[in-house]
Amino acid sequence: MSNLGSDPHRHTDMLDGREDHAPGDEPEESAGHWVRNANLGLGFSVVLTVGAFLLAASDVIYPPAIPVALIVLAIAQMGVHLVFFLHITTGPDNANNVLALAFGILVVFLIVIGSIWIMDHLDQNMMPMEQMMRMQR
Amino acid sequence: MSDGGSPAMGDNGSPAVGDGGLPASVEALRRVREDPHRLGHRPHGPREVVAGAGHGATGPANKRVIVGYGFWIFLLSDIIVFSCFFAAFAVQRGATAGGPAVAQIVDLNRVAFETAALLLSSYTCMLSFAATDARNRLWTQLFLLATGVLGLGFLLLELQEFAELAGQGITPQRSGMLTSFFGLVGLHGVHVAAGLLWLATMMAQVQLKGFRPEIIHRLMCFNLFWHALDIVWIGIFTIVYLMGSGA
Amino acid sequence: MLGKLGLSAIPFSEPIPLITSIIVILVALGVLGLITAKGWWPYLWREWITSVDHKRIGIMYCLLGVVMLIRGFADAIMMRTHQAMAIDAPGYLPPEHYNQIFTAHGTIMILFGAMPLVLGFMNFLVPLQLGVRDVAFPTFNSVGFWLTASGALLVNISLFVGEFARTGWLPYPPLSETTYTPGVGVDYYLWAVQISGVGTLITGINIVTTVLKMRCRGMSYLRMPVFCWTSLASCLLIVAAFPVLTATLAMLTLDRYLDFHYFTHTAGGNPMMFVNLVWAWGHPEVYILVLPAFGIFSEIFSTFSGKPLFGYRSMVAATLFICVVSLMVWLHHFFTMGAGAAVNTFFGISSSIIAVGTGVKVYNWIFTMYGGRVRFEVPMLWSMGFIFTFVIGGLTGVLLAVPPADFLVHNSMFLVAHFHNVIVGGVVFAIFAGMEFWFPKAFGFRLHEGWGKAAFWCAFIGFWVTFTPFYVLGLLGMTRRLQHINFPEWSPWLYLSVVGIAILILGVIAQVMQLVVSIRDRERLRDVTGDLWDGRSLEWATPSPPPFFNFAVLPDVEGEEAYWGIKLRAVETQQLAPEPDYRPIEMPVNSPVGICTAFFAAVFGFAMVWYIWWLAIVALVAAFAGFVVFAWRDVHEFEVPVREVARVDRARRAAREALLERMSRHGALP
Repeated sequence: MSNLGSDPHRHTDMLDGREDHAPGDEPEESAGHWVRNANLGLGFSVVLTVGAFLLAASDVIYPPAIPVALIVLAIAQMGVHLVFFLHITTGPDNANNVLALAFGILVVFLIVIGSIWIMDHLDQNMMPMEQMMRMQR
Repeated sequence: MSDGGSPAMGDNGSPAVGDGGLPASVEALRRVREDPHRLGHRPHGPREVVAGAGHGATGPANKRVIVGYGFWIFLLSDIIVFSCFFAAFAVQRGATAGGPAVAQIVDLNRVAFETAALLLSSYTCMLSFAATDARNRLWTQLFLLATGVLGLGFLLLELQEFAELAGQGITPQRSGMLTSFFGLVGLHGVHVAAGLLWLATMMAQVQLKGFRPEIIHRLMCFNLFWHALDIVWIGIFTIVYLMGSGA
Repeated sequence: MLGKLGLSAIPFSEPIPLITSIIVILVALGVLGLITAKGWWPYLWREWITSVDHKRIGIMYCLLGVVMLIRGFADAIMMRTHQAMAIDAPGYLPPEHYNQIFTAHGTIMILFGAMPLVLGFMNFLVPLQLGVRDVAFPTFNSVGFWLTASGALLVNISLFVGEFARTGWLPYPPLSETTYTPGVGVDYYLWAVQISGVGTLITGINIVTTVLKMRCRGMSYLRMPVFCWTSLASCLLIVAAFPVLTATLAMLTLDRYLDFHYFTHTAGGNPMMFVNLVWAWGHPEVYILVLPAFGIFSEIFSTFSGKPLFGYRSMVAATLFICVVSLMVWLHHFFTMGAGAAVNTFFGISSSIIAVGTGVKVYNWIFTMYGGRVRFEVPMLWSMGFIFTFVIGGLTGVLLAVPPADFLVHNSMFLVAHFHNVIVGGVVFAIFAGMEFWFPKAFGFRLHEGWGKAAFWCAFIGFWVTFTPFYVLGLLGMTRRLQHINFPEWSPWLYLSVVGIAILILGVIAQVMQLVVSIRDRERLRDVTGDLWDGRSLEWATPSPPPFFNFAVLPDVEGEEAYWGIKLRAVETQQLAPEPDYRPIEMPVNSPVGICTAFFAAVFGFAMVWYIWWLAIVALVAAFAGFVVFAWRDVHEFEVPVREVARVDRARRAAREALLERMSRHGALP
């Protein structure tokens, strides 16, 4: 409490004007900004989560569209977390963080979509494993 | 290795001399002089000195940014680990081998409580970091404690789920689908448990050592870690539980 | 108490591993005894084992890599000679032993030979070339290195306690599941690779953060040396791909230890998922190895041609192109496993177009030499040998990227020839070229040129004599990993390949001799200037070897080829820049946390292999406790006094002034 703002690395190193920005960090803001961000993040998250749970349990919308809607809600909520909790924004000081995130998302998509696509194709063109095992007996 | 030879120069230490007897650097300088506009040569080497042309490269960043960024990269790699387990679940979700299907093992009520606990803990974690930012040790510790309690609650709910399923003979050994289900959800649980261990260590550090720069950096990393776990949980409750319950 | 471990784990009945392990143990004891007798332990502990200096860690990485390369090469000699003796004959290696050898050869060469060497080069060079004093996380750097060393240790323990995997260097299920491989071999593989993989990931994160956040003033992205770019791309791939390996091996571990069904062929498991995931790591892995090699060659071509690198920007673009596309080609490793036309076509095309990026690079290197003053020093020989070898390997790779062609030669010796062609021709040649090039920077004296040339010619000729027959054998229908050969018509090619390996042995001997002779003659070969090759990037601005703080004052970069610009200005004005205002320097303190963590990791791995659960738990708790103790330390940095900084830098300036004077004595300036 007493040593308010005494982090020596905090402002002294920022003499070069443009300064990079660590993820999860908001160096120039007051505590009030943090709390407002947290409240907004929580609010949006609660709305999206409750929406997802209600949607899954009900048949308000056309049932085959439910998985798509759920995924859209999940992506929206991940975005809320990134913006309000992790402070990933589009500002220039955030470019490296966003680029790293984009690279990570690309890899995640390649692995998940690629695996599903490849494994689906293998099943199409090969005899199912169980059947093959039965034939070998 | 070398104990610093004499600085005097022997002629043998001069391999840079080309066949014309000129070091290439001297030769290049001559070319630049003869061709000041470098019409015959792309201006890669010597170049006009433009002040501040560093395109934002203004020397090494400060420690806080370096630590935050390094941890951010680590989190991305951790999320890639999760993506493999997600991929395994996506591929094996139909491989029930005659055992229960996803819809039969999903209990949405418990998942709702788990989600609430984890989301609230993300919120309190954020508040604790706000308190850290204001250098308020009491509130930092209280919010960290709340985060820990909520995280523990989440973990206990998950353990209860696993125990209940195991009681019905539904274990990872039963089928490929259950393997990938327990693997994915369990991996997240292990992460939460590791996070709790880290949290306890951090609380002790904050109490005993106060807000030193390196401790604030670690709190920042913990904050990132905890939010990332929540993001992964969004994926799990959507893809495994909500989409599973309808399937 | 000891789990599965018992006296039967020692291979008393097999003479080859038994004698080898006795020799290895005796040599190791001899070295340890020598160190103890000479009283070198305090020095080693202080200056190397606990060091967090990126240069020391880089050198230790390279040392580990070289030792493992020799170990893997011994396996290669055994395979070649065994196959030549096993044509309608039993040969001298029983199948279970032969299978361990080809598995160990692949695992060791890629993960414990090439990887440490590549990581070692990155560690040593990237901070120097970026003009900074250390990597982003020096202590974690030490942790990463020692974890890799623990993995290597576990692999080598398997030589004399138990056995190694017999499954091939990627343990495909269901063969690698407990049902078919109940022994400890696969477990050794899993824990060794897992532990070293964590170490590699740490180093990858470290280098990415260093390159993106820790460049000296004025070192913008497009002024970074190409080696830094390729290191960045390679480490981005490490961050993207090694988690996949970790996850995949964790799943196989769960299958083996807890009867999970990820990859079993029963109860809904899917062995193909392992193949899919492991190659999603495995293909980026080869680019993780070869991209830094491209960087090494770029530095060498430009330096020894006396020209800036041709097409620097296209080189950067090609590097990033390869980095991204290499994540999208992994299926070409299993074209034959039943995927449909759409999938095979997509991955065939993506595998072919990745060669475009590499082609851009090859042309850039050739045009760098064009019109330059090419000096045919040893590093340049390796580099030119690389272009020839790598282009042929790349072309056979494009052939294999065509699915119908791949169906014919999949898993044949043709494939073996192809990947040795690119990995030996690309990565190993780069490692030797880089060693010749930067050895003087690291140790202060150059390597003997005659032995270096002998080593190059033996390796180059030996390589082609060994591996060209493989292409022929593959087209004749010989599959890889054969323990027994029934076709006498293959024998001429197999014998020829033994001749090749004999030439390669001469090459290895020449390398060792080069080191021995150079150490003996080190005073004569001393590099007093710090810039013996007429270099162009910032590492040549430091003395050889560089002081532990690299730069007394961080450089201020004003153009591409940072050091070249400084040098030209000095030549032009006939004087060095004015003496800077020296200030004290903060450097990180040494830490034993790396070696402690790695020790506990090795104990943990060993305990898990042998099912010694209590020991595994003890090791985990101890590792955590070690980290907490480390986190509690109060002193992170120490200050280098101004006097010391000034003394070191004035010695460097004196050497530079002498160099400058000598250059002007050659009378170049009008």
